Amino acid sequence: MTKILVIEDHPTSRELMTYLLRCAGHDLVETGDGREGFDLARTHRPDLVISDVQLPGMNGFEIVAAIKRDPALAGTPVVAVTASAMSGDRENIIAAGFDDYLSKPIDPETFAQQIARHLPPQRSSR
Amino acid sequence: MIDSDRAYDALILEEAPDAVIAIDAGHRVLLWNRGAERLYGYAQSEALGERLHELVQPNDAPDGAADPLNNLPPAGPSTYEALRRRKDGVLMYVDVTAKRIAPLNGGGNAPLIVLGEKDVTQLRVQRDAKLLETRFRDLFELMPDAIVVLNATGRIVLINSQAEALFGYPAGSLIGEPVERLLPERLRAAHLHHRAGYVAQPRVRAMGVGLELHGRRVDGSEFPVDISLSPLQTPEGTLVLSAIRDATERKRFEAALREKNEQLASAMQAKDRFLATMSHELRTPLNAVIGFTGTLLMRLPGPLNDDQERQLKTVQSSGRHLLSLINDLLDLARIEADKFELRMEPVVCQEVLRGVFGALQHQVEQKGLQFSLAMPDENLVALTDRRALTQILTNLSANAVKFCDHGSIHVGLGPAAGGTAGEVQFTVTDTGMGIRAEHLPTVFDAFARFESETGPREGSGLGLHISRRLAEHLGGRIELESEYGKGSTFTLTLPAGSVS
Repeated sequence: MTKILVIEDHPTSRELMTYLLRCAGHDLVETGDGREGFDLARTHRPDLVISDVQLPGMNGFEIVAAIKRDPALAGTPVVAVTASAMSGDRENIIAAGFDDYLSKPIDPETFAQQIARHLPPQRSSR
Repeated sequence: MIDSDRAYDALILEEAPDAVIAIDAGHRVLLWNRGAERLYGYAQSEALGERLHELVQPNDAPDGAADPLNNLPPAGPSTYEALRRRKDGVLMYVDVTAKRIAPLNGGGNAPLIVLGEKDVTQLRVQRDAKLLETRFRDLFELMPDAIVVLNATGRIVLINSQAEALFGYPAGSLIGEPVERLLPERLRAAHLHHRAGYVAQPRVRAMGVGLELHGRRVDGSEFPVDISLSPLQTPEGTLVLSAIRDATERKRFEAALREKNEQLASAMQAKDRFLATMSHELRTPLNAVIGFTGTLLMRLPGPLNDDQERQLKTVQSSGRHLLSLINDLLDLARIEADKFELRMEPVVCQEVLRGVFGALQHQVEQKGLQFSLAMPDENLVALTDRRALTQILTNLSANAVKFCDHGSIHVGLGPAAGGTAGEVQFTVTDTGMGIRAEHLPTVFDAFARFESETGPREGSGLGLHISRRLAEHLGGRIELESEYGKGSTFTLTLPAGSVS
């Protein structure tokens, strides 16, 4: 089982993403606070992090910077899922170090696949 | 006795009212009396040994090459008038009498030229003024602008009453005065310098070109001015005609305009912020609507009965409709604000069409329509923005699918038929319901949606409007032919590009 950390302060959006990912067979850790999200990343060592951009505590840009700076977490893919969908948002987000960008509303039929693309290949021993 | 005679001669030379200057064959100053010091402002110690023309000729003087000193007759005095520059930069007219003096005793010392010089600027000004007065005064009085004419020394030789009124001087009182009288004191020295340069190379300078200029009225008050300069050739030499306009009003308008522009810019920024916020705030609830409708329709929580499925699909399509409205409105706002950033490059049309076709295939198949794509084998290249082109073709094709319930959709590509070789043409033809003739003129308007006889159609009503605006931004156009009940053909024409 892969473990995915979802950092999203909007409860409904978080519920939607965690529901879809659980149905796709992933383990979930979740929070609505940016700082707690980074702490969870350090304690849980997830295989992938999904983060909103506008967040209380620490925003998405700060989280991705902190993760990429942390030697133990640097290889963890971080995907932004955000309602910021104006022109230039994607470029700014990718430039900030996120591995991918998905805009809200997400497509429920393809969301889990889009996320799975960034997961490291599964080790059969687990 | 001889000594005292010599001393007396020297005294006379020193105290002569005019400038007395002697130069050698290389025009180096050998003698420079008090009169010369007074005339040019250079002390004897500064002048001796210097080349005369470097001391007193205006920079780049046009007559520099034709210095009369180079063409003196072998014997006898030669008199001429010359434009000269004082040490402080002031230009003046000088009356020069020059005479060669042969070497004494047939050798020994080198040949000399002796010059007697005096300032005739005022005389010259009076002469120029009289000349102009008779020739131009009446004409200049008729002109709407204030006119000041200067001679080469920068003295006012003609001024019309408009100019006198503008600066507040009594009639005639400025004739012979340096033009710097009309300038604020802090700018006078710099102006003197500019003026000397202008005299050397006179050219027409249009009003409002160049520097921020200021005038000074007789009471000392300053005001902004626009000034045009033109050289005026006369038998007496080149004069400078200067038309002056009070720029106070223009500056006021400009300042008001600038303020309005700033307000507009900040309003635009506020609008951009509003759009970004609106987009963000609308997407968040839509995420839940589209997302959970999706999970239910995917039957992730459990099975659905037919009614539930049908109703959920209505929610889903309404949600998607709302999303396309938001996207289209944002696009439109960007196009209206000219913020739709275009990246013009050679784009292979076939690639774009294949992408559009691929994205629509599912919808086409669901509706049971025939879809055909006719493209030339050889790559056709348009000079365009790939994203905008994709959006236009997607809009046109999706429109065709939307309004076509049975039959076929045909998409074609080729060089512009009958047009110039420099254009490519895309056609999207459907056998749908077509458009009534009376609706054709407004089809491309925003929110132009017409009552459909076969039920409501999903869409923002902005697709065609955006497509046409985008086509215009790309330097192209969209045309429509339609026959009600039979179908429509949309033709997009774009400038062709070459493969780089």
